[in-house]
Parts: sequence; structure tokens; C-alpha cells
Amino acid sequence: MFFTMPQPRSWTDVFLSFTALTSLFTPVVMVKHENFKTCTQAGFCKRNRAFADDVAQLTSWTSPYNLDPSSVSFKDGQLSGTILKTVGKSGETVRLPLTVTFLESGTARVTVDEEKRQKGDITLRHDSKARKERYNEASKWAIVGGLEISTGAALSRDTEAGSTRVNYGPAGTHEAVITHSPFGINFKRDGETHIKFNERGLLNMEHWRAKVEKPQPKEGEEPPPETTEETGEDESTWWEETFGGNTDTKPKGPEAVALDISFPGYEHVYGIPEHASSLSLKETRGGDGKYSEPYRLYNADVFEYELDSPMTLYGAIPLMQAHRKGSTVGVFWLNAAETWIDIVKSKGSKNPLSLGTKSVTDTQTHWISESGILDVFVMLGPTPKDITQKYGELTGFTAMPQQFAIAYHQCRWNYVTDEDVMDVDRKFDKFKIPYDVIWLDIEYTDGKKYFTWDPLTFPNPKKMHNQLDKRDRKLVAIIDPHIKNTDKYPVIDEMKSKGLAVKNKEGNDYEGWCWPGSSYWVDCFNPAAIKWWTTLFKYDSWKGTFANTFIWNDMNEPSVFNGPETTMPKDNLHYGNWEHRDVHNINGLTFHNATFEAMVERKKGEVRRPFVLTRSFYAGSQRLGAMWTGDNLAEWSHLAISIPMVLNQGISGFPFAGADVGGFFGNPSKELLTRWYQTGTFYPFFRGHAHIDTRRREPYVPGAPYTEIISQALRLRYQLLPAWYTAFHEAATTGAPIVRPNFYVHPDDAAGFAIDDQLYVGSTGLLAKPVVTEGANSVDIYLADAEPYYDYFDYTTYTGAGYHTVQAPLDKIPLLMQGGHVIPRRDRPRRSSGLMKWDPFTLVVVLDRAGNAEGTLYIDDGETFEFEQGAAIHRKFVFDHETSALSSTDIGTQGPKTAAFAKAMAKVRVEKVVVVGAPAAWEGLAEVAVSEEGVKESKGGRRAKVTFYPAQGVKAAWAVVRDPKVAVGKGWRIQFA
Amino acid sequence: MPISQFLTAPFKYHKLQTNPLPPTVAKFYKSPSTFTCISNPSLTLPLTHLNDDYCDCPDGSDEPGTAACAHLSPLSPPSPAQHQNPAARFNETLALPGFYCKNKGHIPLYIPFSNVNDGICDYEVCCDGSDEWAGVGGVKCEDRCAKIGKEWRKQDEERKKSLGAANKRRRELMEVAGRLRREVEDRIKTLGAQIQGQEVKVASLETELAGVERSERGRVVKGPGKGGKVAVLASLAKGRVGELAESLGRVRGEREAARERVRELEQILATFKEERNPNFNDEGVKRAVKAWEDYAARDKGPDSDPALDRDLDEILKSDAENGLNWEDFETTEESDVEVLYKFEEYLPKPVRDWVDQKLRDLRVTLIENGVLAAPHSDAGESKAVQDARQQLESAKKDLENDRKELTSHQEDLQKEYGPDNIFRALKDQCIDKDSGEYTYSFCWLGQTTQKSKKGGGHTNMGNFVRIEKVTVDEDVPPDGKGLGSGERYSLVYENGQHCWNGPNRSTRLILACAEKDEIWKIVEQEKCVYRMEVGTPAVCESAAASSKAPAAKDEL
Repeated sequence: MFFTMPQPRSWTDVFLSFTALTSLFTPVVMVKHENFKTCTQAGFCKRNRAFADDVAQLTSWTSPYNLDPSSVSFKDGQLSGTILKTVGKSGETVRLPLTVTFLESGTARVTVDEEKRQKGDITLRHDSKARKERYNEASKWAIVGGLEISTGAALSRDTEAGSTRVNYGPAGTHEAVITHSPFGINFKRDGETHIKFNERGLLNMEHWRAKVEKPQPKEGEEPPPETTEETGEDESTWWEETFGGNTDTKPKGPEAVALDISFPGYEHVYGIPEHASSLSLKETRGGDGKYSEPYRLYNADVFEYELDSPMTLYGAIPLMQAHRKGSTVGVFWLNAAETWIDIVKSKGSKNPLSLGTKSVTDTQTHWISESGILDVFVMLGPTPKDITQKYGELTGFTAMPQQFAIAYHQCRWNYVTDEDVMDVDRKFDKFKIPYDVIWLDIEYTDGKKYFTWDPLTFPNPKKMHNQLDKRDRKLVAIIDPHIKNTDKYPVIDEMKSKGLAVKNKEGNDYEGWCWPGSSYWVDCFNPAAIKWWTTLFKYDSWKGTFANTFIWNDMNEPSVFNGPETTMPKDNLHYGNWEHRDVHNINGLTFHNATFEAMVERKKGEVRRPFVLTRSFYAGSQRLGAMWTGDNLAEWSHLAISIPMVLNQGISGFPFAGADVGGFFGNPSKELLTRWYQTGTFYPFFRGHAHIDTRRREPYVPGAPYTEIISQALRLRYQLLPAWYTAFHEAATTGAPIVRPNFYVHPDDAAGFAIDDQLYVGSTGLLAKPVVTEGANSVDIYLADAEPYYDYFDYTTYTGAGYHTVQAPLDKIPLLMQGGHVIPRRDRPRRSSGLMKWDPFTLVVVLDRAGNAEGTLYIDDGETFEFEQGAAIHRKFVFDHETSALSSTDIGTQGPKTAAFAKAMAKVRVEKVVVVGAPAAWEGLAEVAVSEEGVKESKGGRRAKVTFYPAQGVKAAWAVVRDPKVAVGKGWRIQFA
Repeated sequence: MPISQFLTAPFKYHKLQTNPLPPTVAKFYKSPSTFTCISNPSLTLPLTHLNDDYCDCPDGSDEPGTAACAHLSPLSPPSPAQHQNPAARFNETLALPGFYCKNKGHIPLYIPFSNVNDGICDYEVCCDGSDEWAGVGGVKCEDRCAKIGKEWRKQDEERKKSLGAANKRRRELMEVAGRLRREVEDRIKTLGAQIQGQEVKVASLETELAGVERSERGRVVKGPGKGGKVAVLASLAKGRVGELAESLGRVRGEREAARERVRELEQILATFKEERNPNFNDEGVKRAVKAWEDYAARDKGPDSDPALDRDLDEILKSDAENGLNWEDFETTEESDVEVLYKFEEYLPKPVRDWVDQKLRDLRVTLIENGVLAAPHSDAGESKAVQDARQQLESAKKDLENDRKELTSHQEDLQKEYGPDNIFRALKDQCIDKDSGEYTYSFCWLGQTTQKSKKGGGHTNMGNFVRIEKVTVDEDVPPDGKGLGSGERYSLVYENGQHCWNGPNRSTRLILACAEKDEIWKIVEQEKCVYRMEVGTPAVCESAAASSKAPAAKDEL
């Protein structure tokens, strides 16, 4: 890895050779810190952090923001008013309109704008064409629902002087206490304060001001200090900032927006992806094991990112949740500009509301964005499920993917020819390893011109697609937002002539460098650009693509090789003349969205669920497809960090996530590769990928025993696809994560709040702790409750809260089943998930302490949107120890297409029922009685054989019902005793 | 009892009509009452459990016609032990190699159980479509065996024909290789003889040089004052005569050796003409044979005259035998003229005449050497010493060259040229192929290269380093251009041009039998590591010996 460069591509060669030289002096491969800003190098972050430091120094500090009581009004669930910010010694004030909207969902939304900018009553420097308002359209991209105004919210009758109180939320259990001077809000649930705005007085809206040109210092004279005379503020970063040779002209001057948000009594906060960091967020103000930089959200193409770091990565979801025993609350900071978040925790019993004698930890956060309005959603829980649900109602739930999308994906930069692709495809069959999708990175194009095929290396895309389609397999091709600036390329010609490119600060098409060399960027904020983009994906436009072609969007941060921090200059202009600064973190979502739109209907009448993978994302991207954690390294540490990263995506509303299996850069050892597959089988998005400089590493490459072990891991994924698909359906309807951290499943188990190296699959009770260390032979798995947990493969029983050692030689995945669940499987190995469509199911009934179990199964056609019209099977299975019966009941939503789908699936049966932890009383039981909806009982009723296997040592007793022959889509009952 | 009788069990999935049992296991299914799991005889089942789409036997033998036991595989996630006795474990290896497709009209084949009733007609294996007997999802696979079988037989015919031609071609290559090897061996023999001669010659030249040096020293030391001019002359003449005689002897030896070589070469060429295969249309060989015929037909000139040889023998006898006693002249006090005169008289007639001539030359030489004109000159090394040294040097150089050549040929014989030395026949022949962006080429035991169609020169993808054997397991396409399964010869080329940000390019050729030399496929397996699949007759018979012919009956 010493010399691994991002790209061996023409124009970068010189540049990279240089970096190769410089890397000679770096002992280990690491991100190039100098390419990315620290807080001190981002003017607005530095200013606000310094402000926080100054305030902390003062013994008494009064925030200069006061809500004008006379301005306050409350109407239709919305409180309005004006905050007055006092500026300087003269007492001059700046008017900041405030709204607090109380939503039916129990969520409160607080917005603060700046009147002068809102009204356009300002002048911009450098004759800028940029919009004068603070950016207020982030919600247009991020929010798709959940904005119904609460009808029950009302001003509290017992309002004290100096504050306004509003009761809202379910049964009026929530209360917002808005103090006027200084302005602040406390959010209460059941009388207890959970979230405080401006507790520390760090609210800061940098109001517009004209630049006062100072006389230029004469030669030889010291330049005057860059501070305003009136307030003594450091003005040096107000008007212009230079980083890495790029100068930001900042035509709107300083315009940051910042607020402190406190979570009294909460020790753990989670969320704000994407960072290569622990699930439970760390403090950021220095100290042992703590960060000294704030968590940063500024989507960027970070080459060889480092681990355990608050550095920014490719995507941003500004959702944070605070958790403690019995309560989870969340804030969603809806701002698309560069954002930094400081976190400090303080022990002690400062919280006057905390009862008891235990010391309490408070978490205080400080949110700092460069521009835009202040727009925060406050969710008061009280459970982690409530947070993901409410957040999902606002920003949308995960799109229900096609079946193939949750199976295994085989990717490499690059399968170099169409023959190569077909060869890999054949090899998987030959080695009897299932896979669904093969991927093409940028080399398939003709000279990095998207929507073309290299005529020499991919002369016959049709033949290639046909071969894949024969086994119901798919191809994913990459399409990036940079459009090559070249002759005889209709795409660039059209984009330029229609004016759909991102503009530079002068308003001309912005030209930068990316894979193709000189390029322009499609501006997907523009509705016309989306419309145009859609035309490019039609089968008759992009020849050589078919119904089984799907898309991968990369580099959409956007990545610009010669731009500041490898992205666009902030003073670039997007549609509507919004500065790039204002919209940066949403940029990736808009491109992903345009591709999604294009993929819905490529041929008239052929409407399919799109599959689009994205690298960059924002709140709401979950509606559009999957994400992956970008360019990781083939190292054990990167395998380990992938679990908290994927878990964090799950609780942050974008659960369709995975890391590159095997690690992108570098060559994994066979052991690492094997362990990575065993881990990847638990990523919601499961894709093997590799850099162009690495050796081939498809599952059949490493040989015995690795190939066999990897095949087992892949087949495990396929066996459990019914459970995974059901988990996706749950995510798509409730916002619940697909893989879940301990705190989410056991919100009252304080000892497990920081655990982020093991995961639960959906609501199945499957608990995995993948091995992420070299040479391991066992892992210690944490059990949060007293339920029995059974080894998935041999039914070894583990009982009792705390850590249990599970043997994990290379061929063993530590995977347990929590008692109390019914896990649906399909046991027949097939070549792809599409070929499992007609296979029978196995139900694994895992009994809990009380001898009960339940679970659900969701099935649809895995391809179209007909499930929206009821074309689905959704069952609930319950084993009740009282009646000793397993029953299947319908929990589906009926629609016009329900019956037709049921008919199509009529022959698909349950072939086997396995009961794990079967009662000893079943010893000698030979038969069970089976009854099925719509089937006439013959004389004596239907029977099925059952075999009982008694417990042996630590291995639980189990029983197998032999082919009950009940249809999976029907109601039925199996009576055991 | 045919299996179909079992299949009347009252289960809705039983529509199994086209799945017969493989003949080798049919006997296990003949019991009229119960079925015993093939590899686990302790387990018996009612006949209704056969092919009922539920896996009962731990070895899968109860489901020869469904996918129900497809999961029984070391590639599947492990499942808990089913044996009631914890110490025992059932034999969980699949008892059957797969679902048996009878393929009437073609060849019966096994298809993996996992491909049964998955909605895909796997005609590559089951041309009769019997793998999709359940018609899941409405799939219907009609019987295509007639067409596929006919096509296959046609191709098989061609493959066989091609294989025959390939084997024939290989025998030809073997002959060429054998001949080339013999040539090397012959050359080694020749060189051996030559080197011996050279060694003798070098030794004698060394002696001679020493002698000349001594006599030259003698000339200077004696000076003109001692013994008179005749004595000096006699001494010089003695040296010169000895020198001449020796030269003569050497020339004669060389002539003999040359004659011997010509004879040998003529013999080689005669054999060559006799043994060559006229059907092998090699322009170079044709030209050589024609030229040889022309040469052989030409007048070779008179054979050497034995009389002249005898004369030479006479001349080469020692001076004493010829009645010449140099001592006398060197020590007498007679006048120079007399001495010279008498000197002639003492010689036998043939020698006198010859010496007469030589003496005239000698006089010139003496003048040249300044003996007569400037008898006292003693500046530097005399021409005689120089000549002697030069001859010695040249002889040593020849010897060295011969030895080098010998070593290289001996090493060549030690080198691996593959089975039957076959690659000797192909060495440095080159084969090209267009593939995608590049034209690739390899030269047998030379180097591999690529050349971009987009411009630029040839890039070296590796130089030949060794022959290896590798085990491959690949499907052979209908045209037979594939590696198949088994051990294959592989030529490894390494240390090609360095890759930017990567290794030095390297190529592995994997060879399989084919009628002509051809690159079938080129894959860049990873950055700058290439693999070429190459068809060549060179590996045919060995291939035929070590593995089965393609499309053998049992494909699993």
C-alpha cells in the first residue's frame, strides 16, 4: 500500500508521481490531512468555536438573542415571533424571524431566518449573481412528509412571565418552554426536560454587514489588526478565505448559523454519519481518548480515510439521537452547508431535574453551519424506534429494493472486457457460488464518456447482458456526474447548450478535472437537468443497456480533483443562483435523485424499482437506493470499523448500507478476505469490490479451504434472504434499521449502549458478532437479556446477560438466535436469488424462556411496484406454548393485486419447520396435526411427521416437522401436542 | 421396477416422468417395500418419501429427481447433527452425482441438483429439458436433444478430425525437434574434436613461440663476431626451416580437418535430404535441399594427389633424417661463400630446389629483417616473435570460441524444451491475436508483447523463464477452443516492462491441444499480470494421455 495511488490515469500521473515521492517520507498510509480543513482552517468554525471558548471563560454570559414578547403569536400549531440580536455597544438590533411548528407526529420544528437577507435588503460583493437569502430549500430535497401540523398543540395556560409554553405531542405529553430573554427553548416530555436550545448561549446567526474597506497600509507600515472597532471581533475570515491555493470570494460575507443543543441526563449520543468512528459519539474538545476536532459534515472524496476520526467523509445525515435508559430523543439539523458539531459530556448532578443520587452525565453539543437558515426538528422519542420512525416520516423510508439488490454483488475496478464479465459469471456457476449482480467501474466507457461503451473492450454488451439474464442476474454500470469536455460527445453538447451545468462564480459553466480530464458537472438541482438526465437512460438512447442494467453513482460529493478539498469552489452557482456553499451536502442526493428518476421507467410501460448505489448522500437519500462506505482499505481495522459505520447508517435512517468486502485498496490476506465475507453477509448492502491495482479476489480465487468457507457465508446470506427481505420491508414501512445495534434492540440495557461490534438482523433475533481480528478462534459476544440464545448452526445454548465466549475458528461465523423468534429461510442453494422465487420455505421457530416465539415474513415479486397495490404476502407466525401450536396469520394490506399474487404463489409451501429449544415433553411425539385455510380436512385430519432430537449437553433439543405441505401465503396451524 | 412407479405417490409435486435413474444406481431403488438410504443403510423410508421434494436421507439419495437435497454440500452453511447418537454422524456426502438427464438422442449427463426446478432450462446439460419437470413459474423446457445432439455430433466429428490432424502435426514437430537436437549433439561432437586439435595446436604454438623467442635472443647474444656469417646464417636458416616445416605440418593438419568437416557436412546434408518430410512445406528447407543437390552435382575438383602427400611427408621428416646436420655449419670456420655453396650441395635434390627457392625468400626476409643489411639491429621484438605470438593468440581465440560454443550447446541440451523437446521445433516462432484494445503476441520461448491499437509501440509483457505444469478446470466451448480439465503445460514469461504503479508485466501461457498454434483468450487477471490460453499441437499427445477427451460422459 506504500505506493498505492488513487488512480493510474493519464492526467493524474504527474501529480500522483509527486505524491508518491512525498509518501516516501510517510511511514504508514494515511489520509492527506493537509488536503482537508481543520476547524481552525474553516473561518466560520474557528469563529464559533472561539466564541464558545470565550463564553466558557466568562463567569456570567448573557446571550444577545432575545425573543421580542410582543412579536409572539400562536396560530394553527405554529408559534411565530422575532428574535432580536443585539449588535455592538450601540444596542442596535438585527431582526431574526422565528417559527416553532408543532407537528402531528409529536415533532417540533424550529426555524430562525434573518429578515434583512430574507428581504434581499443587502448588497453582495464582487457583483455576485448569487441569491441574497439564506438557503431555505434543504427541506425541498430532504423532507417528503410528516409535516402535518398538530391540531392539539396549544399555548399553555400557566405561562410564566418571560416565557411562552406550548403543549403538544401525543396526549399533550410534550412541552416546549420558550424563554424570551435570552432566547432559549427547553423541550420536555412528561414534565422532564430532554433537550435544551441555547442553554450555553452559543446561538449565533452571523447577520449581514457591509464590508468596511480599511485604508490600505502604506508601504513599510504595519497593517492594522483585522478586527472591527465596534465589537473587537476577528474579521480576518469574513470576506475571503484561501485554502490549498483556492480562494473563496465569499460574496455574502460571514453568514454562519450556530446553536448549542444540550441533552441533560444523556451520556450517549449517536448519529451524524458519515464518520469512521465509534457508534457512540466521542467528545471533541480534547482529552484522553477524545477528539480535539469537531465532527465534520462536508461531503468529500477522502482518499484512504483514517479510522477513529471525526473527519468528514462522503455523506452527511445531520440527525443526532441521545439515549439513556428509558429514553431516546433526537434532533435533525436541516442544513446543507458545511457543518461542524462539537460534543462535550459533563459528569455531575447539575441537572436540577435529575432525581436520585447517581451521578448524571449531560451531553452538550454545538452545531455550527457555514450558511443557510436555522432549521431544527426536535423528536422526543421515547424509544429508538420512535426516532427512526418519526425521522423516516419526515425524510422518507428506505425504498423497497428489488430482490436482487439485497443479494450478493460482485464488483471490481474493473472487469476489463465483456468476455471478462462473462467469464467471471461462468466461474461463479462452476464453483456453485451464488451471486446476483456483476458491476462495471469506469473503464467500460469509451474514454470516460458516460453513456458509451468502449468499442474495443465491450463490443457486445447485448451478449453480455443476455448471458447474465439467463440466470436472472444483473449488471450495474457506473455513471458519474462529471461530463467529459470533449468533441463529438452529444451528452456534453446537450448539457452545455441547454445550460444544465453547474456555473462558476461568474455565472459561466464551471470547468474542473475528474476521471475524464476536463469536465463539466450536471446541475441536478435544476428540474430541467433531471428531465434531460432521464432521457439519457432510455434503452434507445444508451444503446447496449437492458432491463437488467442498473446504476452506480460515484464521485457525487462532487469529487473535483483540482478543486478545494477535492470538491467544488463554494462560490460556484447552482440552479436558482444558490451558492454551492449553501447546498454542498445535498449535491450528492440531487444527482442520485436524478438517476433514480431516470431508472423508474426506461421504457414506456416498463416500471421497475430502480437500484442506484450512491457514495455521497444526505438526509433523504434512503428513498433512492443504497450507499457504501467508500474507498476503504484491505486491513483488519477497516473490517472492524465497517460494523459501527453500517450500524450508524441504520439508526440514522439510511440503513441500506455496506462496506466494500475485502477492502478497496490493497490486497487482503486470504484470512482477512474470508472474515470479511463472513462480516459482509451481515451488511444490508453486500458487495465485494477491489481497486484496479489489486489482485483478483473473487470468492473462487483463494482456493481451499477459503473458497469453501466464503461460499458458506454467501449461501448463508441467500438462505436468509427471506429474513433480510422482511427486514427491508420493515425498514421501508417503519424506518427501523435493517441491522441494529444493541442499544436499539435493548434500549434499557445501559451496559450495552456503547456496543457497536455486534448486530441484530431486523426483528429476527439473529445476533451476529463477526470476527474482525486476525488469528481469532473465538469471540466474546454480549447478551443483553436472560433469554436463551442458540448457536445458529448447532443449537448450542448461551443463557444469561453478559459476555459469552463463542468458538469461532475460521470456518465459523459467530451467529446466535435469540429465543422468541420465527426465522424464515429458503434452504435450497440456487445460482441467483431470482431462481429461488419458487422454492419452499423453512421456518426456524426459536422458543424463548416462556416457550413462545413469533416472527414475520414478507414476500412480493421483488421487482415491480405492484406490492403497492397489494401484490404481496405478509404473514405473522406465532408459536404459543399454551396451545402448543404454530400458526400463520395474514398481516398484509389488501389491494387490487393481492389475489393474483397469492394465486401465483399458491404452490410455494413451507417444507420444513424446525423448533429450536423444543420442550422435552415432545420426546416420542411422532406426528403433528396440520390444518390449512381453504383446504378441506379429510377424515382424521392432515398429519405430518415430526422428529424430536433431545438436548445433548449444551446443545438444545430441537424438533423437525417433515413437510407440513402448507402454502406460505395461506393461513394454517400446526398443532404439536 | 422402474422409478416411475414410485412416483405415483399422492403428492402434488409428483409429475416426474422424464427423470429416469442413472443405470449405475438403479439397483438401489428396486425394493418393492421400502427405500434404504444409499450411503446410510441404517435409514429406511417408505416409498412415498422418494422424490417427494423433501430431503429425508442425509446423503440425499431419496431425492434423485428434485432439488430438495441440493443443500447437502460442504459449500452450504453447516446444519446440526441429526444422528440420535451424538458420537455418530451420518454420511452427509451426496450419494448421487446430480440429477440424471437421460438426454435421449444425445449423451446422458448429470446436472447439479441445485439447478433442478429453478425455472431455467439448462440446455447446456439437460438438452431434454427434464430438469424443469415441475414447470415452476410456468417455465416449459421442450426436448431439444435431437437438434443439440446432432450439432454436438457434428462438432465432435470435427473435434476428432481436428485432434487427429493435431496429433499428426505434433509428430512432425517432434521429428523437427529431434533433428534439431541431434544437430546440436553432432555439433558438440564436432566441436569436441575441433577443440582437441586446437589444443594441440595451441600447445605447439606455445612451444614454437618459446623457441622463436629463444632463438631470437640467441641471435642477439651471438652477434656477428662469433663464428662468422655462415654460422649465423646457418643458425637462422635452421630456425627458419624448422618454422617452415612446422607451418607446413600445421597447414596440412588443418587441411585434413577441413576435409573431414566437409565430408561430415555433406553427410549431414545427404541425410537431411533423405530424411526430410517433403509434405512439410517449408520454403527454407526446400531452398536448402535444392542448393545441396546443386552442390553435390558440381565437379569437386581433383582429389588430393597421394604423391604430393608423400613428398610432404618426406619434407616433414627431421633434418637429420634428411642428412642435414646443422651443427656442422654452425661450428666450422669455413668461408661464408663456401659454406653457402656446400650447404646446397649437402641437400637432397627435392629439398635443394625447394630450399633454393626458400633461400631466395630468406634473403629477402633477412634483408627485411635487417639481418643482412643491419645485422646488429636488436631494437624491439623481432617480426618472427610477433608472428609466432600472433598465431598463438589467434589459435587461443579460436579455441576459446569453440569452447564457448560447446558450452552453449551443452547448456542448450540441458534446457527444458518441454515434452519430447517439442518446443525446440517452435522456438522463436511468434503468434498474434487481436483482443479488445490490443494486439497481443507471444514467441515460443521468447517474449510476449502487446501493442495498443490506439498507437504506441510494443510493450514487453515478459520474457520466457520456465516451463511449468498447472492444473486447470475449465469448460470447453463447442468449438473445442478451451483448456478443459487436468494438468496442462504452462510457459511462464516474467520481467516484462514495468507497469506504472504496478509490477513488471508477466504472462502465463497455458497450453492445450489444438490443430494449429493459436491464442484463444487473453485475460489481464490483475494489473499487468496476463494469462493466455493457447492452442497448439505441441502438447497434444501428452494432453491426450493425461486427461480425458472433452465432453466426456460424466461432466460432474
